[in-house]
Amino acid sequence: MIQRSALLTWGINMIQLINTLLIGITAGGIYALMAISMVLVWRSTRVINFAQAGMALLSTYFGYEAMVNFDSFWIALPVAMIGGAIFAALIEVIFMRLLVKHSSSGPIASVAPIIATLGLLGVIRAVVSMIWGGQDVRITGPLSNDGFSLGGETLVFSPLKLLILASVVVLMLLLSLLFQKTNIGLALRASAYAPEIARLSGVKVDLVRTMGWALAGAAGAVAGMFQTVNGNGTLSPDSIEFSLLLVSGFIAAVIGGLDSLVGAVIGGLLLGILISFVLMYISSALFFIAPFIILLIVLFIRPQGIIGAKAGRRA
Amino acid sequence: MHKRQNSSHLIPFIAGGVVLYFLSGMVDELRVYQGATIAVYVVAISSIILLTGYSGQVSLGNGALMAVGAYAAAVSHISWHLPIVACFFVAVIAAALGGALLGAAAARLSGPYLAGTTLALAIGLPSLANQFSILGGEQGLIFDVGFPPLSLGQDFTQYKWFFWIAALATLIMMWLLQNVLRSRYGRNWRAGRGNEVAAQLAGINTARSKVLAFTISAGLAGLAGALLSMTIGTVSPSAFPLALSFSLLTGAVLSGVTTLSGVMIGAVTLVAIPEIADVLAHKLGTSESVTTNLPGLLVSALLIVTVLFVPNGPVEQHRARSAKKLAKNK
Repeated sequence: MIQRSALLTWGINMIQLINTLLIGITAGGIYALMAISMVLVWRSTRVINFAQAGMALLSTYFGYEAMVNFDSFWIALPVAMIGGAIFAALIEVIFMRLLVKHSSSGPIASVAPIIATLGLLGVIRAVVSMIWGGQDVRITGPLSNDGFSLGGETLVFSPLKLLILASVVVLMLLLSLLFQKTNIGLALRASAYAPEIARLSGVKVDLVRTMGWALAGAAGAVAGMFQTVNGNGTLSPDSIEFSLLLVSGFIAAVIGGLDSLVGAVIGGLLLGILISFVLMYISSALFFIAPFIILLIVLFIRPQGIIGAKAGRRA
Repeated sequence: MHKRQNSSHLIPFIAGGVVLYFLSGMVDELRVYQGATIAVYVVAISSIILLTGYSGQVSLGNGALMAVGAYAAAVSHISWHLPIVACFFVAVIAAALGGALLGAAAARLSGPYLAGTTLALAIGLPSLANQFSILGGEQGLIFDVGFPPLSLGQDFTQYKWFFWIAALATLIMMWLLQNVLRSRYGRNWRAGRGNEVAAQLAGINTARSKVLAFTISAGLAGLAGALLSMTIGTVSPSAFPLALSFSLLTGAVLSGVTTLSGVMIGAVTLVAIPEIADVLAHKLGTSESVTTNLPGLLVSALLIVTVLFVPNGPVEQHRARSAKKLAKNK
């Protein structure tokens, strides 16, 4: 009798463990997408784009508008991606080039890009709030977010989460194909590694740079869409979800070494799982402060990231 | 002669105080209240200028440190019944301690890493206040500095009292800060910002110097937070949103982060922006969501425009231009 109840407790504990792990991996996949978009921008312009969350927010609203018109998540997602890519490319062409031209010298040259992207974040947020700020809207995911059941127990892991995870994996495969097997990928890698030499070899570095931003915009859009449907499905301009997405993306990118796409994926998954375990086994009150503590620990132990700068550049 | 250059005169600050004293008697209530807010912003912006301009670090943690100061002041007033002046001291010390901790971590970080880390802090810390009952949760705490003393007269209003406290604290702080910036420490910070390796070769412990900058900057932020919560009357997590750190950064960039002399420009602009936005919204007759977000848009747009076109602030820009002109005329 005692043994059976012990077994039962063990089973419940195991299910809880699996749940925690799967939730962490799903969230981590979304963070990884956000981290990828930050890494893509960092590689192409050596700027941490703090406006990335704002751009993801705007793209998600593009997706919402498509959702209203076509009533299909599978149309909304590409619309968000294309919209995000175009917007990011425009930002690079209009804004970042101006920034490089005007503030590349002087006492605050080193902090000017940080301040500028923060300002951009503020502008995007304000404009999005002006257009869509009246009330929260909903984006319904293509599948149910009710958990699978396993031997009478309901898991927190759901068909929707499985789909998100699968999409993240597919996107990452596509991205690595792009980087490893195509000429565009080669140009992207070359311009990130040595812009001058790439230019001399006939790579249009400026164009490639814009393309890096566009890819980043698309990745951020997917992160925004999935983050919204993975949460409670509501979307609002001042949702804390997007602040969290920004912070998590940044942290995941830092864990991965800021320069490496593989690192960004590993960083995102690691961060997602860590946060999930902290919330489950320590306290759910740590929701907002846990990422900060994890970031501090990473920066103290291994500031160059788990994938060192040199190895990272090749990926 | 050498000594004279290194210490800022007390007289201009006293003169400034006297001018403010008479000014506060002449304008209406709203302006007095705005005056108090300007004083708060002056302290908060100086805190950022010290950090960003003098030691070359961008931190978004100022809002969080202001919250630390504000909560420290409120708790010491409510729980320990300390006199108001002591509460402000507690605010400064508590925030400075927090800043020293943050600075010890930050000395190892640079540029975007520090900005990202403090961004995470700014998002995380206010929500932590909800976890402790002593901090009053979402509603926060009441921070009441009390009525103005009767000896000041019957028609001495509450807002005027706020203004007096804020202005006095600000004047004292600015005088102290001005002297610190002209001292050895100020020169160390500038040297470290200019070229860290060269500063180290000249015998400056740049890591320690950065931590010191963080600590003093945090102390100023703490005072600003306590003063801000005095004018609002309460301390709550929602009083220190990320948007506050953003507007303070805008104020600092607008003031010119490399010099303290433009700090009024930033502070006045930050107070004026909501009013300008109000007038604009009335003129345009727009919807509610536009009206509420217009100040945020103006602040951020101003931040971008300043960084793009007058990255060193209007004061420094003007000085550079007149220096150039002078050189040409010679």
